[in-house]
Amino acid sequence: MKRFFGMSLTLALLVGFLVLLSAGFYWAAAGLGWGFNALSISFGWNPPGTVSTAAVSYGAAVGNLLTLMMVVLMISGSMLTVAERKWSALLQNRIGANRITVGGNPLGGIPYLLADALKMLTKEAAAPDVRNRLLFELAPVLAFAPVFCLFAIVPVGPAVDLGNFFGVAAAGKSVSLQVAQIDAGLLYLFAIASLSVYGTSLAGWASNNKLALLGGVRAASQMISYEVSMGVSLVGTMMAYRTLRLEEMVVAQGAPVLGGFPALGLLLQPIGFLIFFTSGFAETKRAPFDLPEGESEIVGYFIEYSGMKFGMMFLAEFLEIAVFAGVITAIFLGGWHPLVFEETLRQNLQPIWFAAVCGGAFLVKMILLMWLQLVIRWLLPRFRYDQVQKLCWKILLPASLVNVFVTGAAILIDPSLQLLAWIGLGTIIVIGVLVGASGRQAAATDGHAAHGAAHAGGH
Amino acid sequence: MNVTAEQVIFLAFAVPLVAAAIGVVVARSPMYAAMSLVGAFFCLAGVYVLLTAHLIAFLQILVYAGAVMVLFLFVIMLLSLGGEGQQLDRLKQLQWLGFVLGGGGLMALLAWISREVAGAEMAAVGPDFGTIKAVGRALFTTYLLPFEATSLLLTVAIVGAVVVAKEKI
Repeated sequence: MKRFFGMSLTLALLVGFLVLLSAGFYWAAAGLGWGFNALSISFGWNPPGTVSTAAVSYGAAVGNLLTLMMVVLMISGSMLTVAERKWSALLQNRIGANRITVGGNPLGGIPYLLADALKMLTKEAAAPDVRNRLLFELAPVLAFAPVFCLFAIVPVGPAVDLGNFFGVAAAGKSVSLQVAQIDAGLLYLFAIASLSVYGTSLAGWASNNKLALLGGVRAASQMISYEVSMGVSLVGTMMAYRTLRLEEMVVAQGAPVLGGFPALGLLLQPIGFLIFFTSGFAETKRAPFDLPEGESEIVGYFIEYSGMKFGMMFLAEFLEIAVFAGVITAIFLGGWHPLVFEETLRQNLQPIWFAAVCGGAFLVKMILLMWLQLVIRWLLPRFRYDQVQKLCWKILLPASLVNVFVTGAAILIDPSLQLLAWIGLGTIIVIGVLVGASGRQAAATDGHAAHGAAHAGGH
Repeated sequence: MNVTAEQVIFLAFAVPLVAAAIGVVVARSPMYAAMSLVGAFFCLAGVYVLLTAHLIAFLQILVYAGAVMVLFLFVIMLLSLGGEGQQLDRLKQLQWLGFVLGGGGLMALLAWISREVAGAEMAAVGPDFGTIKAVGRALFTTYLLPFEATSLLLTVAIVGAVVVAKEKI
């Protein structure tokens, strides 16, 4: 009981901290937007007393770049390296990384960040003589940069009128927690994500090592295959929300459908969600899709890399988890909509604080999805290589094409999305029943082990 | 001299674009040539963005840099190309032909540009220009027939590839 209260308190404090953090992000974005406007007036580009849309949006973009990408994304990525150790330990019923202590307290494994950084930065930079020098050095950059850029279009918080921050003089212009509002939103996502394959395949080729080359070739073929199903799986959501902009998708998900329930992507497109989640998971190249690495057979495309060059590739993988969680949150889980008590919050809170609560809700969902990815990574064994390709081309791609046709027909018949929501609800129920039935079968054949695990978990 | 931000961004993309394009032709290693081509595609996408053609820019990266060139790279990685550069002597005449034709084409283009376009202001485009909605509307109304014909052509190509690759279906 004591433990339950302690955990509840910790979670409540975490949510409160995230809300305060996003409030801070809003002030940073608004402050920089206002500052850029003041600068543009002092340079004489704009007449005094006016508020320029361009200056405000550039300033807000710079602010969001610093807060969202440098703080949220980088800290999520580096904390995931610790979280992975702790969660794998919990799943394997052992105590996780706790050997580095500060005054006898392991602090949840967080000092391991410093230890990792120190180790990677001071390690001997060993590299094979037969490598291709230029491409060998370039590969970690090409692996890291595209993944980092992806977070630019993730909408973390809603748009707030600038007048709420700086009085009526600034009214009419808005800032939101999103670096770039691009018309081609999702296409930017696919385009930049497709570039990250160069990092892995070039690393494999430039190392001039057979195992690394195998890893690079596997990575290239796997990523190209799953990009196809990933792209097609989102066509349904594009049609349902009639936009490619992530921020507009999030707004559209707040509209009620099926008697007041919000039109979440998960409700309208359960098949699309499953396919996108699987394909995106395969793009991150982690177990059960970790064939490019496959420690037990080939060590992977980064076998010849040491020190921080390896660290860059490693960190890119964790950043991919964070970005992927953010994108799924925005497209399928209602983005920044808090979903519970939303109207009450909107009416009773000041706009800035309501937006901060929304930003906090987004971050909470993002953390939950990152956790889910870690759990899947440590629960499932690796697929065989032909299984990976078969899953993509024979199951996911046809399913996503069928999903496109069904979604298109449902929207054509009923543009108010009611029919699509009913179809989605039916699909979720069918999937739930199927999963429940197959899960029980597996437990019957394997009942003893499951019982033992449950027993061990109880202590 | 009054330098606008647009010019700075244009040069930031155009100079690497030309350098990468030269790299494609000059590089002796096929890997470097392929990577230069990727760089050229990327920089060209930047120029498209400057022309407010965002959709074309991202499709350029998605299709050419992200898919087509990865397949090129895949082939180069799998074929161990040790003795490149040995066959260059045989291709000397072809190289000269290419140089003359390419140079002539460039001269003609420059002459045409300096006569027709130089000094003229570009017409301002509407707020809709280059958006997905505008391109989609044009594609599915004005250019519906070419669009469908292209998709048919691609289907034929896919079916043909499968037939060629698989002896027994």
